[in-house]
Amino acid sequence: MASIGIIANPASGKDIRRLVSYATTIDNNEKVNICKRIVLAAQGLGVDETVFMPDTFMMGYAVLDALESDGVLKSKLTLLDFDIEATLDDTIRAARMMEERGVGCLVVLGGDGTSRAACKGITETPLMSVSTGTNNVYPAMMEGTVAGMAAAAAALMGESARECCIHDKKISVYVNGVLRDIALIDAVVSDDFYAGAKAIWDPERIRRIVVTRCHPATIGFSAVAGAYEIVEDTDDFGLAVTLGHTGRGVLAPIAAGVLTPVHVESAQRVELGGDYTFTAETRCMIALDGEREVRVQPGDSVTMRINRDGPWRVLPRKILSRAAGLGMYNIQV
Amino acid sequence: MAISNEQMKDMYVKMRRIRDFESAAAKLFAEGKIPGFVHLYLGEEAIAPAVCECLRDDDYITSTHRGHGHIIAKGGDLNLMMAELFGRETGYCKGKGGSMHIADRDKGILGANGIVGAGHCIACGAGLSINIRGTDQVCVCFFGDGSTNQGTFHESLNMASIWKLPIIFVCENNHYGISMSQDRHQAIKDVADRGAAYNIPGIAVDGNDPMAVYEAAEEAVARARAGKGPTLLECKTYRQHGHFEGDPAIYKPKEEQAAWMEKDPMPRFAGFLVENGVMTAEEVEAVDKQVAKEIEDAIAFADAQPIPGVETAVVDVYSDIVEEVRDR
Repeated sequence: MASIGIIANPASGKDIRRLVSYATTIDNNEKVNICKRIVLAAQGLGVDETVFMPDTFMMGYAVLDALESDGVLKSKLTLLDFDIEATLDDTIRAARMMEERGVGCLVVLGGDGTSRAACKGITETPLMSVSTGTNNVYPAMMEGTVAGMAAAAAALMGESARECCIHDKKISVYVNGVLRDIALIDAVVSDDFYAGAKAIWDPERIRRIVVTRCHPATIGFSAVAGAYEIVEDTDDFGLAVTLGHTGRGVLAPIAAGVLTPVHVESAQRVELGGDYTFTAETRCMIALDGEREVRVQPGDSVTMRINRDGPWRVLPRKILSRAAGLGMYNIQV
Repeated sequence: MAISNEQMKDMYVKMRRIRDFESAAAKLFAEGKIPGFVHLYLGEEAIAPAVCECLRDDDYITSTHRGHGHIIAKGGDLNLMMAELFGRETGYCKGKGGSMHIADRDKGILGANGIVGAGHCIACGAGLSINIRGTDQVCVCFFGDGSTNQGTFHESLNMASIWKLPIIFVCENNHYGISMSQDRHQAIKDVADRGAAYNIPGIAVDGNDPMAVYEAAEEAVARARAGKGPTLLECKTYRQHGHFEGDPAIYKPKEEQAAWMEKDPMPRFAGFLVENGVMTAEEVEAVDKQVAKEIEDAIAFADAQPIPGVETAVVDVYSDIVEEVRDR
């Protein structure tokens, strides 16, 4: 029996970047619509069950209710049974439970932060990340139908789905030798000492940026590094840059619609397995994939280590091409 | 965002004032010393002080039936507030308004209001006045999630948007409209989503964290002052008591209540201030003692004030202009 999991973050796409930039707003009812398309496309290709994370907006129930009412739900739709906390921990827990159930692909709707949380709960399950967040580098803008088909292909192909995935890099953040958290795209050191509205957007407060990959075609602080040097997801290294008032000036899209000049004082590649280390001179926060998460005190030693030990990310075009080659779209007559 | 230690201390003082004022009001109501209804702000203390920290004295606020916190945060006088709750002659409304009608024009407090959803329209009036007069004042409109199903909410957001009124619509989403949970009264979870329908930025923040509220409010206020129009700022919080004092709130699941009590903004913010060296534990304790004394004094003041005479019952009820019309 082939199954997929869906984690849709009800909190994504509503943070302060709608106020300080021109970020997209995607409300929860639209996320439900995307989920409907994923379920329908997946069952159309032969998936037997879709497992949902429970959430505060009850998206799984909304999908179940709508598709049953329309008489189009032919596959099984299951909601995981646990008491939600309305925090990132729900995503981590749901991802872990879905992997234990053996879903063939985990589809995540949200921003970079949601994918980051989901990857903390899985080790082997192929991950497909659909953008409904703000500065999305990790998740892709994708039609739900395509996402559903790609997830179905991954689930139906089993072990061989790995051939249509990339094993992503990940940043592990250590403070005084203790692993504190991880990031999929970037770990950014800001002068703040509180999480506040969580998102980061003020370049004046940013001191260091460490990325697993970066490109000027993305949005957010990884784009600063990307405007300096491009690092692909296939490259076996990351990049660390320090910002200041001197050095090479670059124009970078730090937020939606906001191109800001910044100065890169220094930059260094961080090889896989290598460390980028510094000692905090003042209290600061480390933002992981765009959200302030780790508080650092003066004198703390911070190490950021990049490895290719992140999730297996499904490449939609590649897996759908493979599916065509395998005859998955052929109609039995 | 640059926030000074003094501002953070000020927010804590105001939060503590609200917590102690409301706790005292609960006790006094139970003892029968406060007539009428009181709707308490307990649990929501992080919001109004953080928003009002971004305001000037000449900025406006509109409030709700749950207004004590807003009024204290904007600088309302504790003695006059308590006297009004006691129904005394020297209260803010000369003892005739009670909890739900406190206003202070000198502080830009355009009034608490017993009508759910009325503040939105009043805020539009204030915003239009600001635009006509050409000042850089702003108006903050506080309201709860329940009122966002009222027509006034939608009409006001539409009007504020098309006229680019300098209003910050602050939704204190405490997850209940009277006894009805948000899950049962709205087809959305985030009131912030409704901003998009009116071309207004809608953002949601942790309403039990004054730093998160301040950060968002500061941006929204700056935007309004610069003539860029309104913002819808949703602060997720929780009403720790019932809808009104005397409401046993049996409709609230115990697990839900317990989970939100873990996020109580008072110990959380005090801990943050001490942990980050903004205040010492001794300074926090000193503030707590000072505020406790302020509330004691306010109660003593109120208790000593005269009850309004019967002959004043209709004084100030009608405005002069109405009298003039009657005489014609």
